[in-house]
Amino acid sequence: MSNKDEILNNIRKNTKTVYGMPKIVIDAIQYPDIRTKFMESMELVGGKAIELKQDEDINQCIRELYPTVTSIVSNIPGITIANINPDRIVFPNELDGTDLAVVKGEIGVAENGSVWISRVIKEKALYFVSENLIILLDKKDLVHNMHEAYQRVEMTNHDFGVFISGPSKTADIEQTLVIGAHGARDVTVILQI
Amino acid sequence: MSTKHSKAAERFMNNTEHERWHNETLWQVRAKRDKLAMEIPEWEQLRDLASRIKTHTITNLDRYLTQFAERAEANGAIIHWAKDANDHNEIVYDILRKRDVKKLVKSKSMLTEECKMNEYLMDKGIDVIESDLGERVLQLIHKQPSHIVMPAIHLQKEEIGKIFENELYTEKGNNNPVYLVHAARENLRKEFLSADAAMTGANFGVATSGDIVICTNEGNADMGTSFPKLHIVSMGIEKLIPDYKSLSIFIRLLARSATGQPITTYTSHYRKPRKGNEMHIVLVDNGRSDILKNEDHVQTLKCIRCGACMNTCPVYRRIGGYSYTYFIPGPIGINLGMLESPRKYADNLSACSLCYSCNNICPVKIDLADQIYKWRQSLDSLDEADRAKKLVSYAMKFLFRHPTLYNVVLKIAPIVNKMPRSLIYNSFNDWGKGRELPVFAEESFTRMWKKGKVKKHE
Repeated sequence: MSNKDEILNNIRKNTKTVYGMPKIVIDAIQYPDIRTKFMESMELVGGKAIELKQDEDINQCIRELYPTVTSIVSNIPGITIANINPDRIVFPNELDGTDLAVVKGEIGVAENGSVWISRVIKEKALYFVSENLIILLDKKDLVHNMHEAYQRVEMTNHDFGVFISGPSKTADIEQTLVIGAHGARDVTVILQI
Repeated sequence: MSTKHSKAAERFMNNTEHERWHNETLWQVRAKRDKLAMEIPEWEQLRDLASRIKTHTITNLDRYLTQFAERAEANGAIIHWAKDANDHNEIVYDILRKRDVKKLVKSKSMLTEECKMNEYLMDKGIDVIESDLGERVLQLIHKQPSHIVMPAIHLQKEEIGKIFENELYTEKGNNNPVYLVHAARENLRKEFLSADAAMTGANFGVATSGDIVICTNEGNADMGTSFPKLHIVSMGIEKLIPDYKSLSIFIRLLARSATGQPITTYTSHYRKPRKGNEMHIVLVDNGRSDILKNEDHVQTLKCIRCGACMNTCPVYRRIGGYSYTYFIPGPIGINLGMLESPRKYADNLSACSLCYSCNNICPVKIDLADQIYKWRQSLDSLDEADRAKKLVSYAMKFLFRHPTLYNVVLKIAPIVNKMPRSLIYNSFNDWGKGRELPVFAEESFTRMWKKGKVKKHE
């Protein structure tokens, strides 16, 4: 008998009372001002969210946010400030040394400041290896809580997706919060109309 | 009455300054958890649902496992089934050997600790690099985690600074946590970029989609899997949940319960291997399917390994994780240890005051304290009952069954009040250690009643 059959048989033999799946109805939290709550949550998790003003140029805005960065990686049309296209690299290791990555977020969650990103670039390494990360997000894609977020997560055509909530961090030394463990040291969400 | 646990606890508590610090640090985490939980009006509803979803999943595990394996295989992952720790280690080694892997970078996994995988692989010549910061610190000094979420919580920055000085050649005497973390970042970045394979655990496996969900703050799991062409996931079979709707509940509970954060920095879904890469998922039983038949303790399978029961436990906070003999400490560890081997791990049962705080904080409502109580009732049949306690119990039983003798003893008992301290508080009396004994009443209630000294309340 294979390991698989042995394990499954043992499970069937040992299972006593079988319980049904509960009906999931949750009266989940809703915020009076979803945009403000999202921005507050971003701050709480160590990142920041800003709103792109009407007629403001996105590239100008990025330059002002990160005036000193040199290598800027993005495959988003219109991000002309980018000087490396992540889809043209051969190995993910080439992305090490990226100063700033500009990527597209799909869902922003007000309760915890996380943004859902599914892999639409050649190597997911970019989301983690870059020193700084800008996530572009449409305001209409803000939701109140994780229940609403997971209703919208669509992975059918993707191999990888991630909720990112602020910069990489650790409190492994004496519970002291330190930003910049392995991933981005700085995360900014730019909310667009 | 000295169990291995109480002896180790005594050693930890000898350093009173450190004990105070440990207690306060963990209490802060608990306080952060409370603050965040209270910001969610539906918190208790979430706990209740999470408990019922897990109960449902573990009692329908054959169905969910089959479904998960089918989906994951359809997604292009390769599924392996491990009956025990040895199976697991052999499977992992076989995958690595066939692909000529020399260096494996891994993220934190309590399951690989359970299987003692690192030692096994390193014996075979594979370089295993832990990438979670706390776990890396411990690897450098060949120690095990003392907490399942904050593995190096027992160490202070001076100790970590010293370890880094010796191992990573950091500046002498620089104990600044920011400096130390960034030194580790630089050091581990090289390992990520040069590893031949990545290994991760799994926080959740989603049955309907075949997703592996991994939650970290550091991003070490994602960094690890971003460069090599091989990703191995090690997952206990109880980590399954039905679908995204269920997942949304667990994600809301996990980080709030564990560290008092609204969510971990990264909540990653691994569905398929990247093009040209391989993703292997090792499903591990190692005694879990046997727990199913034990209705008193089946609820331990609901555990999502958040560590909240440790942070809240007044015993754990004051004695540290190394005072337990099982590799998972705290209330959940006491129970899991007993399920693995009552003979080996019965000592840990004394690390509980039955305050029930763990029951009330557990995000999936495991009846942790009730289970510890039940184990204690079975100690005698396991031949693990404490001899002194047993003797006293027999004596008390005899006394209570002989009322005349009982009354005589009660009458002369006040003599004890006047005895010299050295006769009462000594190495023979475990009940006099660290506490004052109650004073015997000069006259018993029964005698007072008979003399009419007890007045009815008007």
